[in-house]
Amino acid sequence: MKKALSLLLVVVMVFSLTACTQQPGAKEGETYKAALLLNGTLGDKSFFDSAHDGLVRLRDELGSDVFDFDVEQMGATAADEPKWAPTLLDFCETGEYDVIIIGTWQMIEGLEDAATQFPNQKFIFFDETFDFSKGDFDNIYNVLYKQNEVSFLVGAAAALMTRDERLPMVDPETKAIGFLGGMENPIINDFLLGYIQGAKHVEPDIKVAIGYVGDFWDSAKGKDIALVQYQSGGVDVGYNVAGAAGLGQIEAAEVAKRYAFGVDSDQAALLPDQAEYIPTSALKNVGNSLIRAIKLDLEGKLAYGSAESLGFAEGGVNLVKDAHYEEMLPEDIRTKIDELEKDIIDGKIVVDTALGKTTEEIEAIKASVQ
Amino acid sequence: MILDAIFSPEFLNNTLRATTPILFAALASAIASKSGVINMALEGIMLFTALFGVIFSAAFQSPWLGLLATMAVGGFIGFLLAFFVLRLKTDEILAAIAINLIANGATILILLFVSGDRGISSSIQSIIIPRITLPIIKDIPFLGEVLSNQNVLTYISLIMVAVVHIFLYKTPLGLQIRAVGENKDAAESVGISSKKIRYISLTLSGVIASLGGFFLSGGYMTKFTIGMSAGRGFIALAASAMGGNTPIGSFLVSLLFGAAQALSNILQLGAWPHELVQMLPYATTLIGLGVYSYSRMKKRQRLTGR
Repeated sequence: MKKALSLLLVVVMVFSLTACTQQPGAKEGETYKAALLLNGTLGDKSFFDSAHDGLVRLRDELGSDVFDFDVEQMGATAADEPKWAPTLLDFCETGEYDVIIIGTWQMIEGLEDAATQFPNQKFIFFDETFDFSKGDFDNIYNVLYKQNEVSFLVGAAAALMTRDERLPMVDPETKAIGFLGGMENPIINDFLLGYIQGAKHVEPDIKVAIGYVGDFWDSAKGKDIALVQYQSGGVDVGYNVAGAAGLGQIEAAEVAKRYAFGVDSDQAALLPDQAEYIPTSALKNVGNSLIRAIKLDLEGKLAYGSAESLGFAEGGVNLVKDAHYEEMLPEDIRTKIDELEKDIIDGKIVVDTALGKTTEEIEAIKASVQ
Repeated sequence: MILDAIFSPEFLNNTLRATTPILFAALASAIASKSGVINMALEGIMLFTALFGVIFSAAFQSPWLGLLATMAVGGFIGFLLAFFVLRLKTDEILAAIAINLIANGATILILLFVSGDRGISSSIQSIIIPRITLPIIKDIPFLGEVLSNQNVLTYISLIMVAVVHIFLYKTPLGLQIRAVGENKDAAESVGISSKKIRYISLTLSGVIASLGGFFLSGGYMTKFTIGMSAGRGFIALAASAMGGNTPIGSFLVSLLFGAAQALSNILQLGAWPHELVQMLPYATTLIGLGVYSYSRMKKRQRLTGR
């Protein structure tokens, strides 16, 4: 018994010694290794798939001897939540990874913890503002997406569509568009503010019906709320930013014979049966942003300890403009959208952001379109 | 705008639609509770059957055969719960929680296996249960618009209220179920096998809950999305408890919850703070439970003369 115990102790010590010697950080001639921790699963045809695809593309480009990565799917449900933070700590503890990539607002607290406990471990954190003022976090690079910029275009397109008599499924009498959010959080509000500003830009007295599902998976409830907007609120065009629950809005659009813009993935391609109701989708290119960040890091130029927002100019967001989009929208609307996009890139239009705004300011903007 | 919306047929349509899955699950809960076992696995059963509904109706290319097969799955999960509780003597709540937790992950796994997707079953060509217009009734102004053109499963859920009522109160098996639930030992002393009765009750409970699950993905929505049961199984538990575990009581409370849900959807159109509006269905539950236990307390006080 004693022998077994001491043997175990020796093994543990040997392991911890090797762990000590493996200092993270990109070294000459060694493979740069990343870990992608998803608080969800792959196959969402959206966000997490985009991140994963980006890393796969980067590995193909650079070769797996230069860059390699592991992916860990932690699951998205309430039952999976308790294991997110411990899994993150486990990955930090291995010390095998040059960088650990995680995202979304749900991981903020876990990241604060991990970054404090493992100051030598580098992190890339995507899609939510990280509060750097809370401590000494120069091991975190924070990448954000200007969802407000792409939503501006969606809002403008929706407002142009709602009064357009040429479109088969709008009522030109009413000038109302809809928004279906999952929950009220800074990112969703950022989508909303861009959407409202874009709509007001082309149609100053537009009305926006705003609904929230309350979670990101009750698609049936999402469908009902969207139906109310379409049938009682006079809404012609909607925009869903509610994850799986947002798919309910697309079904509602089919029932009410109205339009719904997609988000996060090309939903017209994802739902071919309902594509005729989806003019186009707004995308965040998580994958592109990760490729950009890791390439910078390989050159030693990644700005750890700070946040960066990527918009149209940096390829962080875009609107799907394929043959389906051209078929759905008349040319003059598309030209207008392209002009607006150019104005945003050139800085002629500055899109308002919800990040850093107080609740009162956001409420005032919402009230202005009621 | 909001008042118009509330008095529109769409609101009542929405109410009936939101009530249907809760009502099925509440009836399922009522049967189980009458036999003395709480079926807390309704949430998991609905999630599983929402997925299997899509898979089976696509496999058979018929919603009705798909529904039958889905009911078998629901019954099997109910039976499994009974097996854990009655044979393996696990705690009924813990076994149910285990089923609910497994449902979260297993549905994604099965969806991936069948369709290659992890979020939505859009690549499975399933067939949904149709809506029907009722002759004669559809011509009645207003009422016709509400009652006609509902999904067939909504009508079935209303019929089920009567069926379950008759089953529990007018059939020998129903009497046995209630006897076992009231007093297991007394029932056994007259030769009723309480185990057998509870196996039957939980299996039936699973079958009825599976109708609600099927409705979610094959009527309410036309496809399965992950986690789509979204707590309805738990709301149904509250509905049946508040309804005194009777079919008619469960129906009335389910209808109240459905109406609260539909109202909260409509109120979001206005400038009301949405946090407050979203609370409505749950606040209704709390207030309802409060009123229910207060009236029970009063009744007890009257009976005991204190």
